[in-house]
Amino acid sequence: MRNLLQITLLLLTILFAPATVAADKLKVYAVNYPLAYFAERIAGGQAEVVFPAPPDIDPAFWMPDAVTVTAYQGADLILINGAGYAKWISRVSLPRLRMVDTSRLFADSYIRVAQTTSHSHGPGGDHSHSGTAFTTWLDPRQAVQQAEAITAALTRKRPAAKQQFESNLESLKSDLLALDERLARGTTSAADRPMVASHPIYQYLARRYGLNLRSVMWEPDEVPSETRWAELAQLLKEHPAKWMLWEAEPASESVERLRSIGVESIVFDPSGNRPVAGDFLSVMLKNAASLEDVYR
Amino acid sequence: MIQIHGLNFTYPGGTFQLQIPSFRVQQGEKLAVIGPSGSGKTTLLNLVSGIVTAEPGEINVAETTVSALSDAERRDFRIRNIGFVFQDFELLDYLNVLDNILHPYRISRALRQDSGVRERAALLAAQMGIGDKLKRRTDALSQGEKQRVAICRALLPGPRLLLADEATGNLDPRNKGRILDLLFEAVDAHGATLLAVTHDHELLPRFDRVVDFAGFQQTAAA
Amino acid sequence: MIDSIYIAWRYVSYNWVRSLTLVACVTLIAVLPLSLELLLDESERQLLSRAETTPLVVGAKGSSLDLVMNSLYFGETLPELISMADAEGVTESGLAQSLPLYVRFKARGAPVVGATLDYFDFRGLHIAQGRNLALLGECVLGARAAEKLGLKSGDHLLSSPESLFDLAGVYPLKMQVVGILEPAHSADDLAVFVDLKTAWVIQGLVHGHTDLTSVTDPTLVMDRSQGNVTATAKLPQYAQITPENIDSFHFHGDPADYPITAVIALPYDDKFSAILRGRFVAGEQPLQIQVPGEVIEGLLANIFRIKSVLDAVILVVGLSTVLALVLVFALSLRLRQREIQTIFKLGCSRLAIARFLGAEIAIILAASALLTLLLLGVVEHYDEQLVRTLFIR
Repeated sequence: MRNLLQITLLLLTILFAPATVAADKLKVYAVNYPLAYFAERIAGGQAEVVFPAPPDIDPAFWMPDAVTVTAYQGADLILINGAGYAKWISRVSLPRLRMVDTSRLFADSYIRVAQTTSHSHGPGGDHSHSGTAFTTWLDPRQAVQQAEAITAALTRKRPAAKQQFESNLESLKSDLLALDERLARGTTSAADRPMVASHPIYQYLARRYGLNLRSVMWEPDEVPSETRWAELAQLLKEHPAKWMLWEAEPASESVERLRSIGVESIVFDPSGNRPVAGDFLSVMLKNAASLEDVYR
Repeated sequence: MIQIHGLNFTYPGGTFQLQIPSFRVQQGEKLAVIGPSGSGKTTLLNLVSGIVTAEPGEINVAETTVSALSDAERRDFRIRNIGFVFQDFELLDYLNVLDNILHPYRISRALRQDSGVRERAALLAAQMGIGDKLKRRTDALSQGEKQRVAICRALLPGPRLLLADEATGNLDPRNKGRILDLLFEAVDAHGATLLAVTHDHELLPRFDRVVDFAGFQQTAAA
Repeated sequence: MIDSIYIAWRYVSYNWVRSLTLVACVTLIAVLPLSLELLLDESERQLLSRAETTPLVVGAKGSSLDLVMNSLYFGETLPELISMADAEGVTESGLAQSLPLYVRFKARGAPVVGATLDYFDFRGLHIAQGRNLALLGECVLGARAAEKLGLKSGDHLLSSPESLFDLAGVYPLKMQVVGILEPAHSADDLAVFVDLKTAWVIQGLVHGHTDLTSVTDPTLVMDRSQGNVTATAKLPQYAQITPENIDSFHFHGDPADYPITAVIALPYDDKFSAILRGRFVAGEQPLQIQVPGEVIEGLLANIFRIKSVLDAVILVVGLSTVLALVLVFALSLRLRQREIQTIFKLGCSRLAIARFLGAEIAIILAASALLTLLLLGVVEHYDEQLVRTLFIR
């Protein structure tokens, strides 16, 4: 049994070695910007938080190269979003013991999306590639749970800084809850008003505030084809939306044509990647202000 | 060279008895001893070389009273002063010719194996006409060659007395003569004395003296 | 003394058949127990050291020995499978960390060990050449495996089909070797390490293929019904994972249901270990938890029981050999009686005769000792392998 203790000690040394050797800072890698933002806020100066995805990419559909994967492997903590976010995680090798699935605690309230094609071949039998909605942080109360998971992980790695982490968490929590309150207040008057989203990424937002939201598959930087317009017209017949939610600034042609059929455009940036200006909170507050226009 | 006085020998527990009141061999003499089997010819050789001892009796060989020496002293005396040529040569099959000739030096500390020994051995072998066969195995040699090796072995330590026990016994007549010539030459060259036991009567005339042993032997009444 | 040895050496080499026979007898009787001892020591070292550094192993109920042999030494007997959910269960107990293992497949005879990167930390394995696993479809080789297979990083290694007639049609996976480990003098040296997910690719559970909805070749699709496309077996599956096709690799079903062979559990302390074990004893689940040290000690106890029987047999054989040797020397003394007579007449002491005989025995024994050392050296050189083939299958 003494061996057991030695092994555990050894293992702990191995796991914590990079932290103690690199002296001050924990190395924390995140798979998207919101998690990196939360970690930065909570860790303060205790960690170097890295989110290595290039700025022009949606981290949800990114595939890092081997060098970047190796960088992730060297981290003390790897923050993943869970809910099937960032498929690349399942295609690379990462140290499981240093990975933190930040949404695991509310995994039973994931929203299933089942519109993809199923197929069967080989020994696996019938299967589909349907999955779960993964922009979990758009529900600020879920974001708080994710932040708490990050705090717990940081505390496990560096128990001495527990106080600091917790007070930082409190500050982040109050920001997120204030955002939640503002979003709730802003949408409460007419939450059931029909809305269209350019992509199916607002499921958790819609659930949290009871929004009546349907999605199409439009890219903000391209003008949709006529088929797409026809599909939208079809959708609008049963779902008479007056607003479309875009994840990024849409092409002006699209905005004009939408306006001509009586649909206004607003931007609600999920902030999956690092914003050009401001931070997660400022982007979200801007999103909240946009929503307030819609539901005024 | 050899003086024996009042010797009375009996093998322990045996019935054989040998009495020699007096027996002398001169320095450089070539003496043949004849007699019927069991007359004590071989016993004489054993007594002279100190392989067996007799009580009572005094045996002097080369100014040494052999009968007064201890067991170990007699062995050392033997290897230094007496050369043996056996009836069946008694060469060792696992040694080559040279090793056989050198054998006395390897089996006793009484002989010192200095650097000259090997040269002398080679020289001796050359004189004996087997100089080109030093590395041969002995079982590849003819009878005559074997006999020469045996003589070389006996002569190498430079003995003062050569004892030959039926040394020509198994040879054809032509070889017998030649071997005897070699033996005589070697004895002369080394200034040694030869005491040969034989029953080859045709060879006897070539010896200086012949002693018939029939007279010495007495069978004790049981 | 030199003369005695010279003469004895002449005798020994002249009678070389006899001498070799004697040397062979003596060597055999010495090498047998010594190499057995050596092998057992090595097996004890290999088995015990690894078992003692592995606190707990969780696997399907069944043979505890098969489970431990498969998880620790990558033995060939495949235990019943458990699922990733069982590994999660260990983690979620809050009592231990878990290292899932999937030791099922082979690549050119070497065991393919599906594990997470944590395994390398846990075993203290370091990359000697190349880099660690990063992407799906990569493998890292143990030092000896690399040597045996003649591979270096950058080469490719094909996984072997599980059986000759693999009806499910799982294609061998062409894995890329990205790194070679430093020698660890354990079973890890002989293994091919892949990520768990790569192991599932080998099994065909995780796979990549062209998007079925965009397939136009009618021979590839069996049935295209409402929202469901059934592909024929002709559908090309990628047998190699490349940067171009890695994005098409996907899991089917819930990853929690994915199979593994065992979980190495690393309890946070002794108390937690006891609690965890208690749960499995009391639990209804079809799982067992084992302390590898105890299982291996049981195995070693059996091995040593067999060894003591062998020792007794060897002792008897050894005694009879010694008697035979005494007889041989006695007979040879008798055979050499004439020679002894001769040299005694020449003036050699009986003690010297004993010296020759002693030198002869010494030469035989020295040659045997030398040969024994040589053979033991060979045994020692290969003991790791020998132990694997003899005791760990």
